[in-house]
Amino acid sequence: MKRRQALIILVSIVVLSSQGLAAEKKYQRTAEKYSVPDVSLVNQDGKKIPFKSYLETDKPVMVEFIYATCTTICPVLSAGFANLQRKMGADAVKIRLISISIDPENDTPQVMKDYLKKYTASPGWDFLSGKREDIDSVMRSFDAYVANKMYHLPLTLIRSPADGSWVRIKGLMGAADLQDELAQITK
Amino acid sequence: MSPITIRLHIRVLRTLLNSIAVLAFFFCSDAAAAENQQTAVEGPTREKLVQLGERMYREGLLPSGKPITALVQGDIPVEGTTFTCVSCHVRSGIGSYEGGVVTLPTNGEILYRPFKDVRRFVTPGVGMIPYFKLPKIQAPPRPAYTDTTLATVLRTGIDPAGRQLDYVMPRYQLSDPDMNILIFYLKALSAQTSPGVTDTTIRFATVITEEVSPKERQEMLSVLNAIVIARNNAGKSKMDSQLPRWAGFSEDLSRSRRKISLAVWELKGPPGTWRSQLEQYYRKEPVFALLAGITTGEWKPVHEFSEANKIPCLFPITDFPVISSTDWYTQYISKGYYQEGEAVARFLGNMEDLSPEKAIVQLYQDTREGRALADGFRETWKTFDRRQPVDCVIKKGNPVTKEYLLQKALSKEKSAILLLWAGPEAYAALEAVAADANKPDMIYLSSSLLKDGFLAVPETVRAFTYITYPYRLGLEITPGKDLGKGSMGVRKDAPVPVATRNVAQKTGSSQSLLPEIFMMMMTNFYRDYMLDIIGMCGDMKDSPYERLSFGPGQRYASKGCYIVQLTPGANPAVVKKSDWVIH
Ligand code: HEC
Repeated sequence: MKRRQALIILVSIVVLSSQGLAAEKKYQRTAEKYSVPDVSLVNQDGKKIPFKSYLETDKPVMVEFIYATCTTICPVLSAGFANLQRKMGADAVKIRLISISIDPENDTPQVMKDYLKKYTASPGWDFLSGKREDIDSVMRSFDAYVANKMYHLPLTLIRSPADGSWVRIKGLMGAADLQDELAQITK
Repeated sequence: MSPITIRLHIRVLRTLLNSIAVLAFFFCSDAAAAENQQTAVEGPTREKLVQLGERMYREGLLPSGKPITALVQGDIPVEGTTFTCVSCHVRSGIGSYEGGVVTLPTNGEILYRPFKDVRRFVTPGVGMIPYFKLPKIQAPPRPAYTDTTLATVLRTGIDPAGRQLDYVMPRYQLSDPDMNILIFYLKALSAQTSPGVTDTTIRFATVITEEVSPKERQEMLSVLNAIVIARNNAGKSKMDSQLPRWAGFSEDLSRSRRKISLAVWELKGPPGTWRSQLEQYYRKEPVFALLAGITTGEWKPVHEFSEANKIPCLFPITDFPVISSTDWYTQYISKGYYQEGEAVARFLGNMEDLSPEKAIVQLYQDTREGRALADGFRETWKTFDRRQPVDCVIKKGNPVTKEYLLQKALSKEKSAILLLWAGPEAYAALEAVAADANKPDMIYLSSSLLKDGFLAVPETVRAFTYITYPYRLGLEITPGKDLGKGSMGVRKDAPVPVATRNVAQKTGSSQSLLPEIFMMMMTNFYRDYMLDIIGMCGDMKDSPYERLSFGPGQRYASKGCYIVQLTPGANPAVVKKSDWVIH
């Protein structure tokens, strides 16, 4: 009985103190293989981006699905990207950050440009939109398709440049989590 | 002041006694105390405090003008300039549901009450997410907040029940004076039911300007009246009976039920006098919101009335909306003519083999239509790094002649692009241009201006003529799954003939969102919330448009416009040359 009480206290202390420091790891992580469609998307500068080959780079790639007017989820995902870029400083160009719009109707190059500016994005972070069918097929290829944008999941997909394999992270990460995940891919 | 209505929109307070006690506490002691405290210490007026608080809530700026800073997800620093309260709790403070995260309400009325069952607060139908699919226990019960515990939760994320909030909710380090202002604002936020709502009725009005034809007027009114009748006469609608009973949801829904009434506000005389006529109607009988409405002219005076009095106006039928990226209260179907000009600019701007120096001649009549098309093109074209268009403006009523076209408009430019914002009366001149040595490389026309003459574009120019077409192609609306939205009796399965800009169709499809809006609003009868809800609605595919879409702050539901060409022959086919949305 005593031991049990002590254990409870110990556990509570651990839980409480870890909560005080940073978010507990609440996300799920799986290893995946994806085959993405060879579609042409458009970035914030109105430039056409051949999506498949854009991913096939020797840099680590991080992909997230967002839209410019989205509440709650996207601001947090984008703050994560912004913070990662800020922390990496000049090294930020060594990774490729890609936000893909799931509201291509509204997310025109101008809207995407304004969005990135708000998040003080630096080169190396692209926001991609495109034809509805192409966006749908990209979402499907990452098993992230939603018919209604409000349903979308907080996903971060990280591609390893070594073998093109992916890590799929479901849930929102903290800054340290994001850096950890990136470090694991690059090590 | 209207009699105090005790809103039991949540089952938190089962008994009247409890509600009165809490309300009395909230209105008499707390709010007054906060106000006194603020005014006593610093002296700013109530209005000023709300304004400062609103800036923190909406723009993320401290009273000093510096951005608010916070930590999200435990260790990600954010500045107010990237996102702030409004980005998650939305404008009304009632909260949102996105990507599996429920953002709880943060309006004083709800914060300062105990919270027994979160599911009652959660916007139930958000994007048609089945109610029962929401995470079961997002937030366990908590006691009512006080000013002190509210400051604590905003700083530390620990609620009065000792729960550590999800780290999606940022932790804000605010000084005491700044915190007081924010709390003062939260108390004022969605604190009172908006005008136009009683215990039994929600009043709406629709605005009609006198020059509208009896036919169009009738088309719009019959749809609106059908909505009113369906809503008021229906017992339990089909939708209601499909809702899960166990959640207590249907009871909440029936408690939120109000009859709706619809007044017709007819505007007479010059547009300059409309505003005062509107104010007069409103003083006589305040309404919660304006539904549809129709004019052949500009919507601007009504738009400004809505904006100034914070009265939502949902989907007016107008070809001349106000184009603004910041105004809040009018939700339009599309940008009208402006959108067609915009589409041409995007289409040309994205043409990779088009020289940046290519000459563009924009010829339009000095009419509302002409100006709107030209503005849409010009303003969008500016975002591309290309040579500016040459504008040729013809007096209203003057025809576009072949002499004008060849000797004035096109004389200085070889192989230009001609944007001709005119109707079929310009066809003869176009035929002459086609035969001339200095014919333009491309011609752009607007199907909305060509109207019934759309399919009669001269064959000699068809090969190099492009036409804006802001509707879905093959205009047939087939009954399908989406028809659930038409459950208030609006038939949407009749095919739409080409070139008919059917008022009934436009009204019917856009207003078909109403049942969903009512359902999601529950008893949160706040005007801002009504607009927040629209921002959370799923895309609509059964309308005269390819797609209507919504999002927080998005105010033009149709975002697209095709660029098409006609095949040769007497019965030409319409061929898409662009996507619906041109990026
Ligand atoms: C990135 C999104 C986000 C932002 C920005 C945000 N919140 Fe929240 N807030 C949330 C979420 C999500 C919850 C619910 C957390 C939970 O239930 O664990 C919440 C909870 C709250 C609560 C607790 C409600 C309750 O009933 O216990 C208050 C109060 C609150 N927020 C106020 C604010 C204010 C004021 C601001 C701006 C200064 C703000 N929030 C900014 C997402 C956000």
